[in-house]
Amino acid sequence: MTVVLRATMDQSLVALQRQLRALAPDIELLTDGEQPLERNTPDARPPRLVGAEVIEGGGMRARRVFGDPVVAFVAFLDGTQTSQVVAYVDGVPIVHGTVAAAVRIRRNRRLTTWQRPVVRRRLYGPRRALSGEHERVLSSLGIDLVDTAAASGDASSHPFILRDQAVHRIQEDREQAERELAERWCHLEHEPLFIDGGISGSEKVAVAACTVGVVKSHRTLYAEGEALQTIFALRRAERSSVFRVTSPKRIPVASWYLRLRDPVGHDPMWGLVRVEIANPARIEEHDVGTRADTVSRWILAEAAPLAMPDARWDKMVYGIRDCEEFLRAVT
Amino acid sequence: MTTVTPLGRVVATERRPNTPHEFHFWTGLDSPVGVGTIVRVEGKYTINGQITRVYGVVVEGFSYSDLQSPLHDVLGHDGSPSSASLASTERAEIRLYTAAVLRQLPDEPLQPVPLGDVYLADDADIAVALRMDGYLAEGARTGIPIGVYHAGGTDAPIYLDADFLIGPEAAHLNITGVSGLATKTSAIEWILSSIFTHFPEKKGSVAAVCFNVKGPDLCFLDMEGEIDERDRLLYDKCGVPQEPFENVQYFAPYKSDGVSLNTLRSNEALLHNVIPLTWGLREVLQYAEVLLNKDDVDAKADALIDFIRERIVDRDFSDEHMLPGKRYRVRSFAELEQWFKDLLVAMEQRGNESWRTHHIATIRKVRNRLSNISTRCAGLVTDDGNVGDLPFGSFQDRTVYVIDVASLEEDAQDLVFARIVTKLREHLEKRDLGVKHVIVFVDELNKYAPSDGQDTYVRKMLLDLAERGRYLGLVLFSAQQFRSQVHRRVVGNSGTALYGRMDADELATPGYSVLSPAVKTKLATLEKGQLMVRHPHFTQPIFVRFPRPAILRGRDGAERYPQTQDVTLEAAILRALRPLDATISLNWVKDITDTHDREDVIRARNATLLERPADVKRFFKSQLARIVPPTAVSRPALVTPLRTAPADDPYGL
Repeated sequence: MTVVLRATMDQSLVALQRQLRALAPDIELLTDGEQPLERNTPDARPPRLVGAEVIEGGGMRARRVFGDPVVAFVAFLDGTQTSQVVAYVDGVPIVHGTVAAAVRIRRNRRLTTWQRPVVRRRLYGPRRALSGEHERVLSSLGIDLVDTAAASGDASSHPFILRDQAVHRIQEDREQAERELAERWCHLEHEPLFIDGGISGSEKVAVAACTVGVVKSHRTLYAEGEALQTIFALRRAERSSVFRVTSPKRIPVASWYLRLRDPVGHDPMWGLVRVEIANPARIEEHDVGTRADTVSRWILAEAAPLAMPDARWDKMVYGIRDCEEFLRAVT
Repeated sequence: MTTVTPLGRVVATERRPNTPHEFHFWTGLDSPVGVGTIVRVEGKYTINGQITRVYGVVVEGFSYSDLQSPLHDVLGHDGSPSSASLASTERAEIRLYTAAVLRQLPDEPLQPVPLGDVYLADDADIAVALRMDGYLAEGARTGIPIGVYHAGGTDAPIYLDADFLIGPEAAHLNITGVSGLATKTSAIEWILSSIFTHFPEKKGSVAAVCFNVKGPDLCFLDMEGEIDERDRLLYDKCGVPQEPFENVQYFAPYKSDGVSLNTLRSNEALLHNVIPLTWGLREVLQYAEVLLNKDDVDAKADALIDFIRERIVDRDFSDEHMLPGKRYRVRSFAELEQWFKDLLVAMEQRGNESWRTHHIATIRKVRNRLSNISTRCAGLVTDDGNVGDLPFGSFQDRTVYVIDVASLEEDAQDLVFARIVTKLREHLEKRDLGVKHVIVFVDELNKYAPSDGQDTYVRKMLLDLAERGRYLGLVLFSAQQFRSQVHRRVVGNSGTALYGRMDADELATPGYSVLSPAVKTKLATLEKGQLMVRHPHFTQPIFVRFPRPAILRGRDGAERYPQTQDVTLEAAILRALRPLDATISLNWVKDITDTHDREDVIRARNATLLERPADVKRFFKSQLARIVPPTAVSRPALVTPLRTAPADDPYGL
């Protein structure tokens, strides 16, 4: 049996390493560290343009958000994930993943943690590729071993494919953690919650009136042709018309693009976010523009303070950066 | 008692690790922690079966946000500071403190401070942290309250150890701070009150001798002053009565006219405990070197002074060869002057250049210098030899003796200081002073024991007092504005050091380099009534608050009891004698003194005050030379002269 360990500075990994050494003294440890896999794993989703049904009257066009920004969000929700290869067992990467999510609630303009954050640490690997002895050793570490082969169905034994499968599974777990917290918020609270990312993954969250999803990545753009040009031409404090985002696996939501910062001198996505709120019933669609204006003013109010030094500070609000910093501290 | 809610957590990073003597912790933004706050760290692991517990005092504080560059904040608010208040969220902000370790439990092994929760220290914690538990135990209590430590909800009295304040383990106290904030003198008055209240009976008696070298600060120690409610609470906390000193005696020389007392406490209503301080030739000559310039008095002059001291003063002296038929018993400057005069005349008449190996020039020089003393120290030194002095041998327990030399010339101040301290020392060595411990308070120490300049008798004496006084029970409480300008052996031997508000220039001197910038800043901004305390039991300086003394402040006292204007000789005599005999009237004094010389009257008064007889009138009268009434002289009857014999007829025939 050959087990190659990669130790990192992560405390939980060090603890795991200690246990492994106790269980298998012949294990040779490597201490050169390794960057989180998220940095090496490409986003599997290809960039694409998707047409969407405009539900706000007047078609797709730029709309000025009038009125002063309004501070309305009471809390911010975000999740993080970190994964690193703990060991290659006979060439099979065993990945240690940490997912976490937290809601930071704002009181007197200061952010504190709402309830308990979700923090989960697991090992990820294909059980079918492990020998019985290896599986027994890994299972005895006191940490869940998630079978990544079961979900993917891909029988390849290429270590990179196995590693990417693990990372994607960790990503699902992170989304699950975020959903759990968001659903708990919807169950217990009714004040506006700023969610980093979409809200369509959970029916309970997607239909709630208190949740607002703000998407920073634009690998999928919900516009084509002239509509796309309209979005790219949005100026600061302008939004697009509201459209409906639908997906076979997700709950339909109402969405629009909003420019948080002046894009002059930057790329077309600079300061651009896509907002998701609950999909209005047909009879309420005539009022969706008003709702979009209101929510846009809430989001614009979060433009300061800046989320610097985060590289995504043009799209990221400070509350979300605070969530990430908090989760970095507790994971 | 353990505070339930921690107010901070110890943090350590590779860049900023904790050590056995220093640790870092963060707190909430609203925590009551500040520079000088004492905290307790509860460790999580046991050492030798005991959970580690660390006490520390905050010496530095930091605050910062998650901003990497101030520019980010500018950008975030479009360069408009006013829009910052509109931001929806405050940036994450940290309060990070550095604390110096006061004590670790267990004491051994001494390890770096562990990570753990930080609590505000309560009264019991403070006693342990400052090692006061060792001298506050029932039955062995030697604690002297110095003030109250305040932080958050904690108001804990801080005690000094009497064994380290009055001796014999260590002794002496030095206080420094800028002038004009009523801190130094007030602190000394408060500490003396505290000592008089709490000094353990079993350690014997204690008295204080205070030299009032400027202003009226110490002139009203027995008069009640106003204090506010906060002061009362501090008094109660420290268990000290809110009263002025019960037993105070004042000593002051006369003015140069020899009639009025040279003190700001000359108001008639306060004279009952003001005693004139007058010294004669014998007292002064013992400390001649204090007054005589060392460059002036060479070995030859020194030898002559020694001769005078040993052979002339207070002894029957005659010299049939040089001064035939004359007998001397020199007891005053006037008699000494007469002796010099006779000697020099005789030498000139005989054409002698030396007398008993002393050259005439040396004799003239010494005569000049010694005669000059009574002029320079007029009012203190008398020509007549009468002495008004401190009650050496009958000092009273818990009594303050104030010597007001504020109006004296510098030389005279030195003389008073040197003689009194030396006498105290002599009596303490012989154990016959009347008390076992004496605290000597000297203000303006940078003047009497400067760090630079020529060596003076007073500085040598202060050094000796600082280095060896504690073995005798002679304790120096000293004060000055600039500690850096005081001889380091004097301040270095002070077991306890107090610091009021400090001048920034003074804080920049090397002596304060051990203090953190935050502590220095706090020192530079201390309020009235706040002190930083260093004491042998405290491993770090501690900030305390002390109450305003329940004593009439000097300025208020000077207004309420204005100094008496110079009066006639008769009125001065009346004022001096009336405390001894209330029946004496001005008319009586006038009748008695009318026909006498001013000097005779003053001499009689001094003798009366010294003797303090039962029958004052009779004694005073007896001291005045009897005036013989003039009688008419009749021309004697003329007698017929004998006829003169001619020169050439011896037989008269």
